[in-house]
Amino acid sequence: MYAVVMSDTTPQPAHGTAPIVDPAELLSRIAEQKDRQALAELFRLLAPRLKSMMLKLGADSALAEDLVQETLLAVWRKAHLYSPERGAPVTWIFTIARNLRIDQLRRLSNKPYEDLDGIDATDDTPTGLQVVEQQQMVSRVKSALETLPDDQRQVVKLSFLNDMTHSDISAALGIPLGTVKSRLRLAYGRLRPVLEDLQ
Amino acid sequence: MSVVHHPDITTLMAFSAGTLDEPYALVISTHLAMCAACREQIKRIDLIGGALLDAEEEVPVEDDAVDRLFARLDTPKEAGDTINVIPKVRDVPAPLVRYLPDGLDAAPWKARGGGVWTCDLPVSANAQSRLMLLKVGAGRAVPEHGHGGHELTLILKGAYKDRFGRFGPGDIADHDQDVDHQPIAEMGEDCICLVAVDAKLNFRSRIMKLLQPFIGM
Ligand SMILES: [Zn+2]
Repeated sequence: MYAVVMSDTTPQPAHGTAPIVDPAELLSRIAEQKDRQALAELFRLLAPRLKSMMLKLGADSALAEDLVQETLLAVWRKAHLYSPERGAPVTWIFTIARNLRIDQLRRLSNKPYEDLDGIDATDDTPTGLQVVEQQQMVSRVKSALETLPDDQRQVVKLSFLNDMTHSDISAALGIPLGTVKSRLRLAYGRLRPVLEDLQ
Repeated sequence: MSVVHHPDITTLMAFSAGTLDEPYALVISTHLAMCAACREQIKRIDLIGGALLDAEEEVPVEDDAVDRLFARLDTPKEAGDTINVIPKVRDVPAPLVRYLPDGLDAAPWKARGGGVWTCDLPVSANAQSRLMLLKVGAGRAVPEHGHGGHELTLILKGAYKDRFGRFGPGDIADHDQDVDHQPIAEMGEDCICLVAVDAKLNFRSRIMKLLQPFIGM
């Protein structure tokens, strides 16, 4: 199913030849068997995207490579913590990269995020979504993001990818803080029907 | 616990993006520990980050990148590699326990006069803002104040009322600059809040102005 999500970059393998690249399957092979081949496949699938994201932080190529390595190393170590309840693999890996950014670039504690994992683990209100559905959601959110007006998509990307605070964005774009927030609010409003479609 | 007041959607988006300063992230995290609705909301917002990463262009990585990664796989485990189910310490929700390990009563409260106590909580040296506990005696008022910046107030215990309504345990007041309000703690129980502020609180009451240098707000 993931091949559908990634259809622009990952061609659907022919039946019976190459293994189907399903990141959830790769994660479970890492978690259960410490399968290095699975990690290598996950690396090939996501490292180039992670590097692009890390380069947006103002990191040079060497630092971006290091951050990608750190992210995949964390994925290797934490793979047993992944479950579909936590979203699609790419969503979970985004949160790992984000926590790394907080720790290594902002030099702040990311424990406020990690400590929530324990609460999620004991949560009694599971979403009940399967990983395939989670991946379809990512795909739909991707399409919805493309339909946002440019000024809204810009602030969303500066926040989530470039790691800029709302104040940073306000200063960089030369617009009031209130305008940054209202664009984010409008963007959320447009994404909401997709984000809240919990089938 | 029935939470009525939740963070602004833009604050939750900043939390998900990872751009909040530590005191704000901790207040939101503590709210999430108390609010199942916002935990679900954050999962939805996290999809934005996932979708954006999924849509990123691909930048080639170094040829030896996978080998370098393999060489590091046998390094020892680190904290955070296992799920920490932090036991709730008496009246302190899980994410706050690290900052307040001995509970609310053991906090080193400093009397500020007028039935108000505060207690600064230690955060990372790189944090640009301040994390503190605020205790307002039952029936007492926090002097009317405006905000010099973004202020998050999470009620841990007791309740207060102001022109925005009643705020009880789990409720969060997410105020931008240029909001004026005067919270009054309900009778019967002290109101204890967890507060993140990024600028000096602009207390307007004469008494608090006198106290301001002393409080260091
Ligand atoms: Zn909430």
